[in-house]
Amino acid sequence: MIILEDVFKVERLDPDGKKFDKVTRIEARSERFDMFMHLDVNTEIYPMKEGQKFTMALASTLNPDGTPDTGYYTPGNRKSLADKYEYVMHGKLYKISEDDPGRASKGSGKGVKAEIYVSFGGLLMMLKGDPSNLHQFDLDQRLFLCIRKL
Amino acid sequence: MFCNIINPRDVLSLFERMSDEDCELLNIADRPEKFMITTIAVPPIAIRPSVMMEGSQSNENDITERLKRIIQVNASLQQELQDMKNMAAWDHLQAEVGLYINSDVRGVPYPFQVAKPLAGFIQRLKGKQGRFRGNLSGKRVEYTGRTVISPDPNLKITEVAIPIQMARILTYPERVNQYNIEKLRQCVRNGPYKYPGARMIRYPDGEMRLLMGSFRKRLADELGFGVIVDRHLEDGDVVLFNRQPSLHRMSIMCHRARVMPWRTLRFNESVCNPYNADFDGDEMNMHVPQTEEARAEALMLMGVQNNLCTPKNGEILVASTQDFLTSSFLITRKDIFYDRAAFSLICSYMGDGMDLIDLPTPAIIKPIELWTGKQIFSVLLRPNARMRVFVNLTLKEKNYSKPKNASERELETMCPNDGFVYFRNSELISGQLGKATLGNGNKDGLYSILLRDYNAHAAASCMNRLAKLSARWIGNHGFSIGIDDVQPDNDLNERKRETILNGYNSCDEKIELYNKGKLDLQPGCDAAQTLEAVITGILNQIRNETGQVCMKKLHWRNSPLIMSQCGSKGSPINISQMIACVGQQSVGGRRAPNGFIDRSLPHFPRQSKTPAAKGFVANSFYSGLTATEFFFHTMGGREGLVDTAVKTADTGYMSRRLIKALEDLSIHYDNTVRNASGCIVQFLYGDDGMDPALMEGKNGFPLNFDRLFMKVKATCPSREHKYLSPVEISALIEQKLPESESTPDGGLSDASKAFKKSVKAFLLEEHEKGSEIIMKFGEDATVENQETVIRVAQKIGGITEGQLRAFIDTCMSRYHLKRIEAGSAIGAIGAQSIGEPGTQMTLKTFHFAGVASMNVTLGVPRIKEIINGAKKILTPIITAELDRDDNVNIARMVKARIDKTVLGQIAKSIKTVMTSRLGSIVITLDMNRIEDSQLCIDANTVRESIMQTPKIKPKQLQINVLDVTKLEVVPLVDRGKLHFELHSLKNMLPNVIVKGIKTVERAVVNKGKEKYKDKEGKVKEREKYSLVVEGTGLQEVMGTEGVDGRKTKSNHIIEIQQTLGIEAARWCIIEEIQFIMSNHGMSIDIRHMMLLADLMTFRGEVLGITRFGIQKMDKSVLMLASFEKTSDHLFHASASGKADKIEGVSECIIMGVPMQLGTGILKVIQRDEKPELTYASDPIISAY
Repeated sequence: MIILEDVFKVERLDPDGKKFDKVTRIEARSERFDMFMHLDVNTEIYPMKEGQKFTMALASTLNPDGTPDTGYYTPGNRKSLADKYEYVMHGKLYKISEDDPGRASKGSGKGVKAEIYVSFGGLLMMLKGDPSNLHQFDLDQRLFLCIRKL
Repeated sequence: MFCNIINPRDVLSLFERMSDEDCELLNIADRPEKFMITTIAVPPIAIRPSVMMEGSQSNENDITERLKRIIQVNASLQQELQDMKNMAAWDHLQAEVGLYINSDVRGVPYPFQVAKPLAGFIQRLKGKQGRFRGNLSGKRVEYTGRTVISPDPNLKITEVAIPIQMARILTYPERVNQYNIEKLRQCVRNGPYKYPGARMIRYPDGEMRLLMGSFRKRLADELGFGVIVDRHLEDGDVVLFNRQPSLHRMSIMCHRARVMPWRTLRFNESVCNPYNADFDGDEMNMHVPQTEEARAEALMLMGVQNNLCTPKNGEILVASTQDFLTSSFLITRKDIFYDRAAFSLICSYMGDGMDLIDLPTPAIIKPIELWTGKQIFSVLLRPNARMRVFVNLTLKEKNYSKPKNASERELETMCPNDGFVYFRNSELISGQLGKATLGNGNKDGLYSILLRDYNAHAAASCMNRLAKLSARWIGNHGFSIGIDDVQPDNDLNERKRETILNGYNSCDEKIELYNKGKLDLQPGCDAAQTLEAVITGILNQIRNETGQVCMKKLHWRNSPLIMSQCGSKGSPINISQMIACVGQQSVGGRRAPNGFIDRSLPHFPRQSKTPAAKGFVANSFYSGLTATEFFFHTMGGREGLVDTAVKTADTGYMSRRLIKALEDLSIHYDNTVRNASGCIVQFLYGDDGMDPALMEGKNGFPLNFDRLFMKVKATCPSREHKYLSPVEISALIEQKLPESESTPDGGLSDASKAFKKSVKAFLLEEHEKGSEIIMKFGEDATVENQETVIRVAQKIGGITEGQLRAFIDTCMSRYHLKRIEAGSAIGAIGAQSIGEPGTQMTLKTFHFAGVASMNVTLGVPRIKEIINGAKKILTPIITAELDRDDNVNIARMVKARIDKTVLGQIAKSIKTVMTSRLGSIVITLDMNRIEDSQLCIDANTVRESIMQTPKIKPKQLQINVLDVTKLEVVPLVDRGKLHFELHSLKNMLPNVIVKGIKTVERAVVNKGKEKYKDKEGKVKEREKYSLVVEGTGLQEVMGTEGVDGRKTKSNHIIEIQQTLGIEAARWCIIEEIQFIMSNHGMSIDIRHMMLLADLMTFRGEVLGITRFGIQKMDKSVLMLASFEKTSDHLFHASASGKADKIEGVSECIIMGVPMQLGTGILKVIQRDEKPELTYASDPIISAY
């Protein structure tokens, strides 16, 4: 079941300088919900460039009929949501927090934003957006991140 | 004068006539004539064995030799008595008998000093090898082994591998029963030389058979239940393992045996730390307990599992080291990915492929399945869903990038270096693991948390798995260091040359300035000192800069870099010394001294102060040192070696004294700390009765609330549960933690009340933070999406009822589990906790007390001072707070009042005036100067001061005040002496103290900063002045006008006791020890220091931990005899007829009986007389 889907545009690669050989941190902003995202991507197997647009979906299960994920990994030749995407990661939502008040005051002034943090086995994602767009996320939720370049 | 030496015989008859009443008056227990030796004790041959040499020669014992001589002298005395000659033999006999008892008795009248004197009885008793310390307090034992040690990561941390050769010699007496009879039969059949064998059989009737002969098979077949077989050591046997020096209780721990081939004792590297062992040829000892009781006690009390953390401060001690850290660091790198085969292989490493493992979902599913290295750690912590271990921790590793300024927010998990470790429900979320997570010496590492939240077994098995995993992983991955790891590239060389050149140039500038005398002086320093300080600063800067450059330039695969980053070995300084620049060599805390006239080496010009001439090594170990650099480097190296050699002896003796003083303190069932005779030292141990080994929080606080709260929130997921409203939260807190409650634990109620209060305060603060967030979101939300927004906000800051209840319950139940157990030998633990860090103290002996050039002693010398209760200390310093501490001028004024001012400093002139009639000295005061330094001095006060200086003999002087600034001193002597008298007066007068405190060396105004809250509650900083006074005289300083006596402190314990009393002295001891320890970067639980301070002060005066102080702590004779001055104590005890109740630790060891602490605190009470048993019907019934 897809919780969130949006089109992002890569704004910057490795904002703090290149630290790892195979992993790049991308900074991206979404078009529809104006969300901001940091995401670690294994660029060795899935290269990404600055300015590239991609669609990203966050789903709680890969089963197309929406039956919840068991938590056990049982690959097979079943039909899955992943078929439509090129790059799929699995991880866990570990933190929900509010945006830093100091930065919010001098920023857009659109009010408080919420952040969700997901770890895909150490590859991290930080997604910042309006709380009303993120209310379906829960702590310790298992999430699948699916990306397809546009 | 007539002098009569009393004949010993006369003395004897005098003594014999002494009345019993007089004896009592003299405190003599027995008849005084027993002081005179009329007959000597001749011990039997067993006491003085003669050793047979080859042939017919025999080597006699010293005592025998002595006796031989006594008999000889006695014979000649008899001869002389018959001949009535000069009786020289009388004195001779006297001396011989004296030497028989004590061979270095003083005043032996004739030159009988041989090269090696024959030992007397006292020589047999005293000293380290003597009877008391060598044979009674410590004994030679059987069932022991010792050999070289080596590492084996495949062993569990609780195991030790024992060579088969050793296992064949060490035995354990196992009783035959129906379960082991077949095993023991086989052992008996194998005999003493074939491995799973046995050496001896003991029958219930007391008969013993050695299993040497060919009758073994028969014995094995006849083996019956109840027979004891001394079988070889086998897997799972309990052994004690030890490495000297045994500085703390973790130096001897209990392991399970694993009998293995080859010749070394082996154990898991994780256990190196408590033993302080490495494998460069160290040897270790092992002992085999011989009874089931001993085994049980050893396992429970000394087992590795039960000693994972140190009672010194509750930090974890058994933890991963070296390679384990390196490989964990490499595995958890962010860009390490494994495919299915590799990941499964690594997962099977950690449990020998025998574990049930749930393969996690790969982090990357498409385009190919890839697992990350971090997922291996998730598997390691929780291999399958049946394991109920949920680790939750957050931690900053060394490479965490802190926010550059305070206003920026912490990046936490999003740290670009991946330095923030976050475990959530046993899943590694982020962070590259290093020493902070897996290593020893911290309280919130992974193992500490496993140990606290789960149990020792969880922590131990995790260590076992990591050891196996990393040993095998790094074996495949490969990790080595080569010359190319330390080769600087051209760029680095260029940068280094530049930095060094710049540094040298600025040094030259400063030297030039110094030579011209234009150097700006630092406060409290002269020109030379300033120059040294400046140059040292510049040179240290050079090394740091080059070091930073080379750390930045190195590739991430550089082995030394990896090792220093993960904390397994080496520091950035070590790396930069290898690659870039070795840096300044120091000898005695200074640059290299001048060994030649005005220069360090003849290679340099005289008076040269350049970096190179004073021991700066610009080369790296890779580029190689020049001859002079090498020489300076050896100077520094030798100092280190000498220092360690000297220090070990010093600290060893200190530890011994501490132990002897504290050994018999233990906790009793009423929570008091008492010594062996039941005298109370503390009413409640550490003021809260907590066990220092179990403290989780910082500074010895029982719990780390932040961590626990996080864990509770993560492990009790909110899911569908309702979040509590603020009102409900307050109500629930009030209900769970009621203000007043009659606690069943009586004496502890005060401490537990305080703890409850802190729980409450923490919860309220968390609650406030949470509701603030919810408020903020609520304000921001529009009407239509209010509900969803609030829901998100509650996920961030809310708390459910289950979470709150779980948190409070765990806090309270854990708090009560952390109370110290009755019987704990807390004295010995405290002594070890203070003695052991002493051995690790580096040679840093001085420390600036805030002000330049005002040093305080630190390190081992200072600890010795405190513990000895020294009357005179090296650097006494008084810190005085001021009544008005915001004004420099006032501070200077007070300083002038304290500082010693002599007449010479304030006098414009001191002149001799000679007239024809009389001579005098006229003193003119320099009023400008006096006013400048704000002293209240005029001629009258000076007169008073002179009158009060006894050295000048003021009674023979006439002092006339001429006016306010002038006075005349006229000596009242006859004219002949006048000239000399005037001359000596003129010399002495300038040294008359006219103002200030005599005992004070000097006083310095110290500028500090203090944070305070202004009216709006904002934290602001302001300047704050205080005085630092070098010297003694606390009372006078406190009494000085302008000084706030209530806040004035001294570091001189005896002085504090004299001026402020014993309680102040106690607190001073605690603070001073803490100060030293924190300065050396060591943390020790304050409870140990409190106990030591209490022991030193509980008699009402400060007793040093020396032989004099320990004597006054009502210790028994045997304990004192086994400590120091053996013979004196024994003689004194026998004269005054002392009884020893054998209740202390030393006495019990000497007598070989169980002591009254630990498990020995309990005894079984049994009815003394037999109850009368009437084998008849009950009288009530029988009456009818």
